[in-house]
Amino acid sequence: MTRRPLRPPPYRARPQVPVGALQAALGAEHAAVWAYGLVGAFVPDALSRRLDEAMTAHQARRDATQRILIDAGAAPVPPEPGYLTPEPVTDAASALRLAITAETDAAAAWRSVVERSPADADLRGTGLEALTDAAVRATRWRATAGATPLTVPFPGAP
Amino acid sequence: MLTAGTALLLTGPAALTGCSSSTLAPSRPDPLESPARRAEADAALAQAVGQTQAQANPALAASARALAADRMAHATALRAELRRARPGPPSTSTVPPPAGPAPAAPAPSAARTALAQAARAAQDEAAGLVVTLPGYRAALLASIAACCATHAALLS
Repeated sequence: MTRRPLRPPPYRARPQVPVGALQAALGAEHAAVWAYGLVGAFVPDALSRRLDEAMTAHQARRDATQRILIDAGAAPVPPEPGYLTPEPVTDAASALRLAITAETDAAAAWRSVVERSPADADLRGTGLEALTDAAVRATRWRATAGATPLTVPFPGAP
Repeated sequence: MLTAGTALLLTGPAALTGCSSSTLAPSRPDPLESPARRAEADAALAQAVGQTQAQANPALAASARALAADRMAHATALRAELRRARPGPPSTSTVPPPAGPAPAAPAPSAARTALAQAARAAQDEAAGLVVTLPGYRAALLASIAACCATHAALLS
C-alpha cells in the first residue's frame, strides 16, 4: 500500500481557480481598505459606525481571498504602498465619492471572479456575496452623499 | 477607478465563456425564461406603484420608478441572451405583460412592502442561478441579483 502524506482537503478540489481574477479582487480589497482609512478622516462622526463596518467587511474579504489564493498555490498580491485617487480627497463629499469608487471597483473585480469561476464552485457563491455587498454599500453611500441615481442596473458590469 | 501607485488594478475584459446552451434539449425552457418574465412583471408592478404613489408619496414613487427602470434593463438583457442562445421565434411573448388594472392606490406602506418583497424574491432567484450557469450568464445573473439587493435595501 502506498503511503500518502496527510494533506488538507483541497478548496473544493480546486477546479480551475481563476487566480488572475482573484488576485485582481484581492487588489481591489487592499485598495478598499486603504480608501476607507482615508475616508474616515473626512466624514462626520455620525458615519463612523458604517465606516467601521465597511472597513471590517473589506478586511475580512481580503483575508479570505488571501487564504483562497494560498490554498490554490498562488502567492497573494501585497497591498500597494500608495494609491492614486480619482480626485483629491479634501472634504466629506470627495471622501464619500472615494468610498463609492472603492465599492464600485470591488464589485467589478468580484463579478469577474463569478464569471471566470467554474460552475458549481464555492467561488461562485463567494464572488456573488462580495459583489452584492459592495453594490449595496455603494448604493448606501450614494444615498448618504445625495448622489443620483442611487442604483445601477448591472453592478460590476464593465 | 482607484489605481495603484505602481501597478494598475486592471483586469482584462472578462472572457465570454457562456457561449452555448447546447447541453439543453431544445424542448426544455431556457433557465433564463423565468428571470426574464419575473423582471418584466416586476417592472410593470414598480411602474404601477410609481404612478399610483406619485401624489401620496413622491419619495416612494421615485424609488418605484428607479426599480422599474432597472428591472426593465434586466428584462432587456435577459431577452437578448435568450435570443442569442436560441435564435428564432421565442417560446413565449417578448412583450411585457400588461400592468393590468392599477390597484386602487394601496397604502404606501403596503406598496413599499410589495416592492421590497419583489426585489428580494428576484435577488433570490437570480442568486440561485449564479451557481450553475455558464460564466457569462452567471455574471449577468450575479449583477441582477446584486442590483435587486440594492433596491431591497433601499425599500426596507
